[in-house]
Amino acid sequence: MSEMIDDETLDRQLREAAPYIDDDGFTARVITKLPTAQGEPRWLRGMVLLGVTALGSGIAYLLSGGGRFVREGVIQLSSFPIWLLLVLAFGCGLLVGAFAVIFAIRKTPEVRDLTQLRF
Amino acid sequence: MELTDADLIARVLVDDDQHAFSELVRRHQSTVRGLLRQLTRTDIVLADDLAQETFLRAYKNIQSFRSEARFSTWLYRIAYNCFREDARRRKELVGVDEEQLQAEHDPQTIDPGLRQDLMYALSLLPLHERTAVVLCCQNGLSHDEAARVLDIPLGTVKTNVLRGREKLKRTLAAWGPS
Repeated sequence: MSEMIDDETLDRQLREAAPYIDDDGFTARVITKLPTAQGEPRWLRGMVLLGVTALGSGIAYLLSGGGRFVREGVIQLSSFPIWLLLVLAFGCGLLVGAFAVIFAIRKTPEVRDLTQLRF
Repeated sequence: MELTDADLIARVLVDDDQHAFSELVRRHQSTVRGLLRQLTRTDIVLADDLAQETFLRAYKNIQSFRSEARFSTWLYRIAYNCFREDARRRKELVGVDEEQLQAEHDPQTIDPGLRQDLMYALSLLPLHERTAVVLCCQNGLSHDEAARVLDIPLGTVKTNVLRGREKLKRTLAAWGPS
């Protein structure tokens, strides 16, 4: 009979002996069984956001004397050189695109963790 | 940057985000299925059914998760409850045929590899000791956490871990080269 091992060695060997179980479609099976998301809160939230935006825009329009500042802004923009307008438009596009990419990555675990992608 | 379990749970709670929940399942499926395979004595099909039930219950009750505990500990508790309920339904509460099962196993036929030896020796332990050893020694839960998972007194967990360890050591020593 050989000598008995100590607690620490036994625990380490137990941890190392535990096999990693491949997902092998398990997660997908669980997700298909989840109850479908309730649509009401999202729909309600969208409506509230839309309503608040419309109300805020209306108040801003009234307080600014019928949107006078918008007309003045457009007139000012028209006096800018064309290259500056192009740079401005390109910068806005980049900014919006960057936000879109960030949100897409945050919403998609597979894209966020490229190590999980299988080819 | 990798999101923590807490971030993902918050997304499930606030947005009912099933992508976030699938990430949680992916992270914890191996340990939960491993625990259930130990409890069901490597009945893989039953263990996976119970693991699926565990994650479905976790999703439905995620608002009751208290962040002072680790998410994995909470999952182990649900998994253990699923196993117990299933065992009760099948009237196969362990302890009844432990000796018979132990007699059916012949140590001479096991694979010589250490991993196989260990896993086999583990499967010979009575359920309460096996569960305590798997949770504390293999999955790194503290005695306190294991007591909460198993809903038994702290002292009982310590005793079960101690006895389980001693039996494992004796079994492995007996199988080792003389």
